[in-house]
Amino acid sequence: MASRVTEIASRLYDACLERFEADHLFYQQDLLALDVIPKGEIDLLLKCAQSLVDQKLFRLLQGANNRLAWKIISRDDAEKLQSLSPDESLVYNVIHSSGRSGVWVRNIQSRTNLHKSILDRCVKSLESKNYIKSVHNVKYPTRKMYMLAGLAPSEDITGGAWFTDGVLDSTFINALAGVIEYKVSTQSWYEVPAADRGRSKRIKTATGMAEVKSESEKTFLPYPANYSGYPTIEWITTEVNKSGVTPVRLGEDSVIQLVQMLCFDKKLVSLNNGLNYKAVKNPVVVKAGFNRKPAAEEEAGSPILGLGKNGMTEAPCGSCPNIRLCSPGAAISPETCEYFDPWYEKVLGF
Amino acid sequence: MTMSQYAAELCALLIEDQFGDLFARIFTTLQRYERLPLPRLKFYSRLTERQLHHGLAAMIQHHLVFHFTSLEDGNTYYAANPQAAYYLIRSGKIIHLVESRLGEYAARVMETILYLGHVPIKHLETLPDLRYLAPAAPNGLVKEEEPEEEQEPQELDTEAGEETNGANGDHAEEVLQKPAPLHSTLKALASHGYIIRVKDAHFQSPEDNYIEAHKAASNRSDIKMLKGKRLTEELLQKTEEILRERTDGDLSEGLMVNGLPRGVKRKIANGTSESASKWHQTDHNGTNGNHADDDEENDWSEDEDGFDNIPMEPSLVLRVNYEKLDVALRNARFVEMAKDDAAPATAEVYETLLRRIEYVTKRCRDTSEIPREGEEGEQFSIPIETYKIVSDVDPHLDLSGCMGPLNPASASVNRRGKRPLENGVNGDNHYEDEDEDTVDDDVSRAYEINQHLQLLEQAPHNLASHVRLSDGIKWRVGFRGLARKLRHLELERLVEMRYGDVALRVLRVLHAKGKLDEKRLQEISLLPFKDLRQTLASMQAGGFVDLQEVPKDAQRQPSKTIFLWYFDPDRVCSSVLEDTYKAMSRTLQRIKFERNLRRDFLDKTERSDVKGNEERWLSEGELEQLQRWRDMEAILLGVVSRLDDMVAVFRDF
Repeated sequence: MASRVTEIASRLYDACLERFEADHLFYQQDLLALDVIPKGEIDLLLKCAQSLVDQKLFRLLQGANNRLAWKIISRDDAEKLQSLSPDESLVYNVIHSSGRSGVWVRNIQSRTNLHKSILDRCVKSLESKNYIKSVHNVKYPTRKMYMLAGLAPSEDITGGAWFTDGVLDSTFINALAGVIEYKVSTQSWYEVPAADRGRSKRIKTATGMAEVKSESEKTFLPYPANYSGYPTIEWITTEVNKSGVTPVRLGEDSVIQLVQMLCFDKKLVSLNNGLNYKAVKNPVVVKAGFNRKPAAEEEAGSPILGLGKNGMTEAPCGSCPNIRLCSPGAAISPETCEYFDPWYEKVLGF
Repeated sequence: MTMSQYAAELCALLIEDQFGDLFARIFTTLQRYERLPLPRLKFYSRLTERQLHHGLAAMIQHHLVFHFTSLEDGNTYYAANPQAAYYLIRSGKIIHLVESRLGEYAARVMETILYLGHVPIKHLETLPDLRYLAPAAPNGLVKEEEPEEEQEPQELDTEAGEETNGANGDHAEEVLQKPAPLHSTLKALASHGYIIRVKDAHFQSPEDNYIEAHKAASNRSDIKMLKGKRLTEELLQKTEEILRERTDGDLSEGLMVNGLPRGVKRKIANGTSESASKWHQTDHNGTNGNHADDDEENDWSEDEDGFDNIPMEPSLVLRVNYEKLDVALRNARFVEMAKDDAAPATAEVYETLLRRIEYVTKRCRDTSEIPREGEEGEQFSIPIETYKIVSDVDPHLDLSGCMGPLNPASASVNRRGKRPLENGVNGDNHYEDEDEDTVDDDVSRAYEINQHLQLLEQAPHNLASHVRLSDGIKWRVGFRGLARKLRHLELERLVEMRYGDVALRVLRVLHAKGKLDEKRLQEISLLPFKDLRQTLASMQAGGFVDLQEVPKDAQRQPSKTIFLWYFDPDRVCSSVLEDTYKAMSRTLQRIKFERNLRRDFLDKTERSDVKGNEERWLSEGELEQLQRWRDMEAILLGVVSRLDDMVAVFRDF
């Protein structure tokens, strides 16, 4: 009898494997409909299902309306599960059920009702067998979270494309931002064809910084106001993915996030309610900005002020850390100020 | 108007610097004790009666002190006028502005008026300094004949002017002797609104004026009839009306010609023929050699022949109108903003628009204080028609060469060294044939100017906006928004200098989104937590951002509290303004200190025999030292004036 059950059970399992996808949820009638159980004996079905569940080939679930339901487990996984102790398999099931979003240790505890020390042991052994992995949640960096080893953490946990191992990857972001700015910039400015350049010598570039005089350099002109060819988010997304800077494909949402950051940097501006984006600087200036940055950092001391200067940034008092304390006759006073002399030296050269 | 500690300190320093100890003593006493009658003033200031009388009389002349005689007790009260004291620092800028607009002589007239506080015209007439166009300084000769050369031909008929102009070069001596056009200069200044008539109310503090006006209004019979809410409303309105009537010394009315003040540098004359002759004239001027830009100097007598003969009323008393000058200075800042990130031609078109707007804008804003951000409505300028800008803008300005085509694809198709311009039909012809149909030309220029202004209307500039009416497009400027933009620009420059560009991004995010917790802030600004926290902490220490705690329960545990970062521009602006005042007075004090260090040496250079003959009496080392000192003083004063630009942004615009 027992061997018959095993046999039918394995036939049932094979049939399920054939008919259903890995994640399919099936009910009693689905199993009966497979025509594996002779005469549709409910009793027999029950025994078979139980034996499969025991062998970890079926996972028992509760479907809609509190009906019993099953899912198939691949034979490899089943082997894994069979080697686990009951406690471990309990923990494994909880972690499995959380899918790609992972589960907090404390939630495992409350769901399994295991003692903390037992739970810790289970988790440790599962981790050592490489069945589960711990993941870092961006939203709750202090929480210990676990998920199955084979799964990739979802965006909620990783924080989207901008996080590497739960930490914001600023070098990646800056590199990508530079690419986007440059790409948008090439679309936001009209490059005067070489033949025309002689005539437009007088024209300065938009920032007024680099006056284009020499014939070899490129001249850029702004487009008229009703120009409609400024890049859209879709365009930027495809360009970014084409550029090969990113290891993974970026979604439009991530690109929007980045583009908005660039808007806050006043490198891009959005037009037509965010439909189009336009670069503030022309491509040559953008490129020059990239090249300048590391060099400037080496020099140190005088930071490049993209916004220009005003009285407060120029005057020694403007950058004085002790201006609040300064008053004539006091310990810090205009007479004893030590910032003025170096400042004269700097601006007057003596 | 109450002033903060540092503003008061600064005003006292400025007065001391300009007028000496006595004025400063009186002024600080009045600032410290506010309104005082003479006996109390005498008591607090510990000055003799004689000193006080002299001092007060002179200070009233300079509008540094308000005085008010009460009808009730018969006492006269004195109060400091910090506004006038502060504006001492802006006089250099004002003279410079007038010089660039109306020429050197007008600047000299302005300087004299500034120097005298207020002055009747008949007194100006007697001043030797203003009698001739060129100042008496011997070495100023070559430079100063320039305005005259421009002046003369334009007074005559333009055609005849050419001859005179050509021959003019060697008449330097005669030029010197020629009487200066004082009255037309004054008219030009008045029609620009830079000078106004002095009224009795100008000697009283604004508060006194208000109270008096209020009294006068409530004594009116028609007001007495009213009751309740209508009474207060009507009273308020009437008070304003009376106040305006009493303080308004505007002279520009009746002096404007076709909506333009006199003495405006006209870049183009109205008719075709005239513009042609102007062309010739400038050509000739060019051959004359000694001026780089032809249209630069004062040519106001050009089109006001009739008016010129009528001198201004000699008994009229004049003073400088700071309100209007602030408008002009503010517009200059707007143009600067446009120049920063737009093509030069676009900026020039914008400048022309702003000039037109300046003529009809009396003051920077209607309220005495800058309203809180978010609570201030937009205040638009008077809209200006495009054709007016067309007629004002330099006809040689290349409008079409600095904008890309609307459709780059088609441009690349027919690029034969020539690309189709945005206005397709007649834009290109601009270069080839100058003498095409002028009507057509005007239309295309109007189109181009509209294109330039539309570009400025767009982000990131947002410098102008248009109104579409049945008779075409008009352009206007939203002053409050732009003033706010200027304020934020100054703040952002400061933040960038102190905390770097990361901080700038954080600040802008906070400004755009309001209060945010760290997590959300990170998501938007895409900054690593470490950098973000450091930046926020240092900005908080500097007073640029603030932290609000929102506890979830009554225990206020930090773990159960939400922390929200926010940026309050009003608070930051006012604290930066105070710092700016302080920086200004510290810099002035430093000048004083440096001067004291070199007192013996400087006394020597200022001896009457040495002064002017430095090279003869001073050794090489001393000359070098003098040069150094002058450089140093210049740079320190330069800093003060740059700081004043910021004060203007935070307080006056």
